[in-house]
Amino acid sequence: MSQFLQATLYGVLQGGLFALIAVGFSLVWGVMNVINIAQGAFVVLGAYLGWGLATYAGIDPFLGMLVAAPVMFALGYALQRFLINLVVNAPVFITLLLTFGLDLMLTQAMNIAFTANYRAIPTSYASRGVEVLPDVFLPLGRFLTFGVGVGVTLLLAWVMSRTRTGLSISATGMDRGAARLMGINARHVYGLVFGLGAATAGMAGAMYGTVGTFSPADAAHLTLISFVIAVLGGLGNPYGALIGGLVLGLIEAWGGQYLPGSWENALAFGVFVVVLLLRPQGLVGRSYYAARLEV
Amino acid sequence: MTSVLASSRRAWLPWAVGVLVLAAGFGLQTQLYTDQERVVTAVLMYVVLAQSWNLIGGYTGYASFGQVAFFGLGGYVTGVLMWQLRLPFWWALAASGLLAAGFGALIGLPLLRLKGHYFAIAALGVAEGTREVITNLTSVTGGGGGLTVPTFGADAPTAYLGNDGFYVFFLLLAAFAVLTVTLVARSRFGFGLRAINQDEDAAAAMGVPTTRVKVAAFSLSGLLAGLAGSGYAFQAVNIYPGPMFDVQITVLMVVMVVIGGSGTVLGPVLGAVGLQLLSEWLRANYTTYHTFILGTIIVIAVVLFPGGLVTYVRGGLRTGQWSLLTSIRRYRL
Repeated sequence: MSQFLQATLYGVLQGGLFALIAVGFSLVWGVMNVINIAQGAFVVLGAYLGWGLATYAGIDPFLGMLVAAPVMFALGYALQRFLINLVVNAPVFITLLLTFGLDLMLTQAMNIAFTANYRAIPTSYASRGVEVLPDVFLPLGRFLTFGVGVGVTLLLAWVMSRTRTGLSISATGMDRGAARLMGINARHVYGLVFGLGAATAGMAGAMYGTVGTFSPADAAHLTLISFVIAVLGGLGNPYGALIGGLVLGLIEAWGGQYLPGSWENALAFGVFVVVLLLRPQGLVGRSYYAARLEV
Repeated sequence: MTSVLASSRRAWLPWAVGVLVLAAGFGLQTQLYTDQERVVTAVLMYVVLAQSWNLIGGYTGYASFGQVAFFGLGGYVTGVLMWQLRLPFWWALAASGLLAAGFGALIGLPLLRLKGHYFAIAALGVAEGTREVITNLTSVTGGGGGLTVPTFGADAPTAYLGNDGFYVFFLLLAAFAVLTVTLVARSRFGFGLRAINQDEDAAAAMGVPTTRVKVAAFSLSGLLAGLAGSGYAFQAVNIYPGPMFDVQITVLMVVMVVIGGSGTVLGPVLGAVGLQLLSEWLRANYTTYHTFILGTIIVIAVVLFPGGLVTYVRGGLRTGQWSLLTSIRRYRL
């Protein structure tokens, strides 16, 4: 029983971090119909920012993340405004190829700058554990990253539904033509969305680096799990990313506990395909982008 | 649609060019060093893969991000049959192609009901899932440790083809792929695919049996990728789930087709030859920056020629408009 509880706890904690990794990917896809293959590279870049700040300036990664976020936001905004906006109305696999090119560039640039060695962001407290139930331990670092992941995702949900900026993002996602007629600057909004996506990815990266190791080679896997989570939950919806992240975290934790080998990965993709077939709009999503008209 | 109405005065021309290129392929072989021969063999394999993606992504308009599943499946069927059952390569090759085609039909039936990007990512999920299943069927496939195709001595069901043999194999396979796509493009079936690409509801209303046609296209694209995977597995000797199901292979197929010109016969060939040669040249001359430069080139090509090179040149010849900014004006926000 305690094994089951431990696996469940671990899955939930992992799910919170997963949500933060994928929420930007989901938002970018849902609002702009851009599949950002470079998402994983953004996460790894955020991890390197956190690592650099911790190693050279002695800044704790949970504070360093607050520095990484605006840097990544600026990078994302500039990329969208000056590059991706040039082809954003093309069929979806054109923008996908563009971000794939960016992914190759970013990943290789990180390989050159930081080498392909695996690194971690060391903290004095992340590896400590607290016994919450008999034989069930709460790892402190993972608990903190879970808190940050869920907190930032909920904050994003609040921004999207309660602030003028968030509402203009939603409006642009639902009907860009009408939004522009209402005086919304769609180019700027698209920049903001990609910036937000990059900023959340950067924060997720700093968290990812404190609870495990990372290298540029992780980028592809991180993009892939963003795919799974975004689709499981429903595109463009922060709550969807949260649900998708928790589902994936639990599947991986339970599967890892009770299935031999790495069958949990096969299980995760099986669930992914079945959810797509039965509920293509995701577990919590409305069909956001698919239903709208292009103007 | 012009090819239906235009007179068939010069209909023999593409066929003559095709035969000439094939002959040139055999001629080229005699002029190449071993390393160069390997590079061209890889180029030819990518011609097959690009044409495979072209059928489903280019003509039908269903962008499959899981096309590598067929390549990996074909490779593993060949590997397992030759390793476990000691079947000759040619039997394994046929089995690989047929199984990949069957797999395409099997997963196509549910998946092709999904539209647009939902299909794309469901296909990605299937490819990743297939890799995981193959990794975990350790007793059959050797699992993550991979398997070794027996190639030498009395143990080998078929002797290793060697560099020259694989060159000829992939040259003929590439010719077969191009021929297949050419025949499809000119057939009633091909027009059905293009109609589905433009407007599926309208195609159905015009009497195109959309489900059957889509599944057939997916299955045929699976056959081509499966045959390529089979040859690749025999050539590589040691195969592992990671490299056989590498997402990058799918992405390369998409890049080659899109940069060359999707939904054309010539575009994927040009895309595969151009990109693969460029990639090999960069790898040899700028080892460290190779991927970075390749990424930059993809970014620039996608922004300037989102319709592909062949489409750009055709449009230029027809309208006299050669401006590189046309597509940006069309697709920017």
